[in-house]
Amino acid sequence: MTISRRVFVKAGGLALVSLGLDPLFLGRAAYALGRPFGAPGPILVCLFQRGAVDGLNMIVPHGEPAYYQERPRIAIPATDVVDLDGHFGLHPSLAPLKALWDNKSLAAIHAIGSPDATRSHFDAQDYMETGTPGVKSTADGWANRYCQHDREHANTPFRAVAFGPQLPRALAGSAPSLAIDDLQAFGLRVPQEAARDRLTRAFEELYDGAGTGLLASSSREGFEAVQMLKRADPTQYRPDNGVEYPPGRLGKTLLQIAQLIKADVGLEIAFADCGGWDTHVNQGSSEGQLAARLRELGLALAAFDKDLGDRMRNVVVLTMSEFGRTIHENGNSGTDHGHATAMLALGGPVNGGRVLGRWPGLSVEQRFEGRDVAVTTDFRDLFGEILARHLGATDLGAVFPGYEPSPGRFLGAIRG
Amino acid sequence: MLSIVAAVCLLTAQAPGPGLTARDSAFHALNRLAYGARPGEADSVARVGVMRWIEQQLDADHISDSRLAQREHEFKILHYDRGDLAERFGTAQRERQRRQREMKAGDTTNLDAVGPMREFRDLGGELQQLAIVRAAVSERQLREVMVDFWTNHFNVFVGKGADRFLLPSYIEETIRPRALGRFEDLLIATARSPAMLFYLDNAQSVAPGSAPPRPMMAPFRRRRFGMNELPEDRRRRPTGINENYARELMELHTLGVDGGYTQQDVINVARIFTGWSIQPPERGAGFAYHDWAHDQGDKVVLGQKFESDGEDEGVRLLKFLASQHATMHHVSAKLCARFVADEPPDDCVDAAVAAWQKTHGDIRAVLRAIFTSPDFWAPQVVRAKVKTPFEFVVSAVRAAGIEPDSTPRLARLVGRLGEPLYQQPAPTGYPETEAHWVNSGALLARMNAALMLAKQCSSVPTVPDHSQLVEAIDQKLLGGTMSAHTKSVILEQLADINDPEQARTLAVGLALGGPDFQRQ
Repeated sequence: MTISRRVFVKAGGLALVSLGLDPLFLGRAAYALGRPFGAPGPILVCLFQRGAVDGLNMIVPHGEPAYYQERPRIAIPATDVVDLDGHFGLHPSLAPLKALWDNKSLAAIHAIGSPDATRSHFDAQDYMETGTPGVKSTADGWANRYCQHDREHANTPFRAVAFGPQLPRALAGSAPSLAIDDLQAFGLRVPQEAARDRLTRAFEELYDGAGTGLLASSSREGFEAVQMLKRADPTQYRPDNGVEYPPGRLGKTLLQIAQLIKADVGLEIAFADCGGWDTHVNQGSSEGQLAARLRELGLALAAFDKDLGDRMRNVVVLTMSEFGRTIHENGNSGTDHGHATAMLALGGPVNGGRVLGRWPGLSVEQRFEGRDVAVTTDFRDLFGEILARHLGATDLGAVFPGYEPSPGRFLGAIRG
Repeated sequence: MLSIVAAVCLLTAQAPGPGLTARDSAFHALNRLAYGARPGEADSVARVGVMRWIEQQLDADHISDSRLAQREHEFKILHYDRGDLAERFGTAQRERQRRQREMKAGDTTNLDAVGPMREFRDLGGELQQLAIVRAAVSERQLREVMVDFWTNHFNVFVGKGADRFLLPSYIEETIRPRALGRFEDLLIATARSPAMLFYLDNAQSVAPGSAPPRPMMAPFRRRRFGMNELPEDRRRRPTGINENYARELMELHTLGVDGGYTQQDVINVARIFTGWSIQPPERGAGFAYHDWAHDQGDKVVLGQKFESDGEDEGVRLLKFLASQHATMHHVSAKLCARFVADEPPDDCVDAAVAAWQKTHGDIRAVLRAIFTSPDFWAPQVVRAKVKTPFEFVVSAVRAAGIEPDSTPRLARLVGRLGEPLYQQPAPTGYPETEAHWVNSGALLARMNAALMLAKQCSSVPTVPDHSQLVEAIDQKLLGGTMSAHTKSVILEQLADINDPEQARTLAVGLALGGPDFQRQ
């Protein structure tokens, strides 16, 4: 049983012991040599709030009388809002993030969304993930296209990782990307370690003999990932600084992302979902349904920030949602599908302590179709800025076909 | 009948391809026209004669399929028609809303996992598992393959609003009866299907300025259509055309993206289909044509004038699109990608197009042209295509002699491998190519699936001699095509294992999860 045909990576550098590797893989390995994994590069963590979060109750325009007029039952009372700048404030459930605002690593972006007017979850999520609003036939996602076109990054199997059972549209495409449902169970699911190692070696050998095609190279990458993870030993993970993540899926996911970041396996883009934002009925105000979801979000993000500590200097967390909700509360003390929403960007590189984007106002003539918050920032301007100024993307035109976010349109979300 | 006999005589006289034994030819045909060979099936097909077997598969109605008919009885979903499902869904929605209203702060109950909504979701799971059982068990294998092909070609996403209750009848009534019929009939049936009309928004497409007569306003005013599951904008009365279906009809269903149509053609096609809509759920959610919503002007599409003619205009347009050369080429190339190679060879596509032209889109004739094309039997094509997750799981189930049950277990497995059935949101359907399906995480998932399925394998006997065991696995699972490398690795792994049962499970798991079994 030989393991010499495996490319494996040691912390701080790359040891390449190879026989008969295909050129593509050698090419990737050569890229990897350019930046040893020991010196972590910039990382983007995307959280998709599926279901359309109510941006107005997340980042509250408490200085806007219309906000209170339109929402007699669900508005957040000014006395409960965690004020940010005299005009906007955080929902009280997001209070754990106030310290990040104060240290300038948290920014909010308001009135952001898609130029496409659809109010269908399905279409709007699709557009936000493919990065091509209005075009349904786009096969791959913007994050995958970024990986296809910016190949300077060490192309490790962990470069782009989705946390969940399937790859989301944003990561779908020809560049390698990984869907990990449970970091601790990644690899062959065999309880005993000895049996697992043995099967792993057996499959590895089987595929080594499968020639030079995609089956062989993918299997090699897969086992490389398994090996890298094994050394990182995710079962032994303890968050730093005594951090406790909130119970629930989001906390668990962010813990795993933190774990993967600290394992230094070359993670560049992490993508995760958090649902429960489609609050048509009984949305609640300072307490209630939305408050509970936001509390989990706030606690999880604050825990993530504290857990990563100094490493946050290379990390940007971006929240996104397919659209916002109606300004006016509906007959069920909820909100219906609207247009613009709010997003959060947090991390060392973020030019924080500010609400970015042009605020369109809430009066009827300022609204989109007379009812919703108007979109003043195309989401691609923000995504594009983060890709370019944080990850170092050089070809935004290829990432967002038919639209090139230009520096003139950037909001200044990333420190210059 | 005479012509079929003649065709059979002609076909049995042809040798499938150079360098392929009768058994290899049969194994190849079973890999492509069927969901892989069951143990011993390559031999039985070779005995019948592979071309004769292909003719039998093309004539699916004359194949007895009693075992599948028996299995279908287990599926409750087949007992409900579209109206029943619409009603059950409406009840489940109202119950969900009631629970939501009564929910206390901090209650984290997943409202989709309890009560009638849970029951409705379970029916959705049944629908997926039914696809697995049919693919694994049916004797009409080619028809099942074509059902999958057309379901994917005319993709509808089950997660979009009303499609949660419209999809079952789409599969049963729209796709399945026409899978080996005429393309034009299938195209018209999908265009008129409530599932497609909802999925691609045509149900909401109306001539600008049109308004329903007073009594018909009620469903919109009361917001009853599709209940809360409908996206908000679709609950309000529509005010203009929606181009979504028109565009996908030409780009994906017929002409292809380079099919020579313009944006103005898209708009005019959308105008032609204005008024093609759906009845309210309480009236069965069937097809409805609303003349009040129809654009009464004349339209021009691809240079062809379509005079205002109500509902018939759309039917004329669909027949026109079905007969375009671009359509024949686009769909034939997709068929060749499915049956022959990811990059379909030109000659094979040309042969399919010629058969299409000659028979005005008889799907069986087009398929026959593909299966008799030299490209189909070329050595570089045999065992070169990677299976999709669905093909992988079903072929493993068939080879290993596993009887798929009616729980959604295997359907979930296909989902974990990346191809959750009916859950592709994009109208493109799932891709066919190796590049899409092979990545490191996906391969690891296939290996895990193989290890799990190996435990249920009943087709491979327990034999103490390892060489005999590997030989048996090669014959039962891979039709004798296992590579020397795979054999040697498996034998090496078995070297220190004395328990024959353990050896069998390990060897079957490695064979199913290894590279040979990923290909077809």
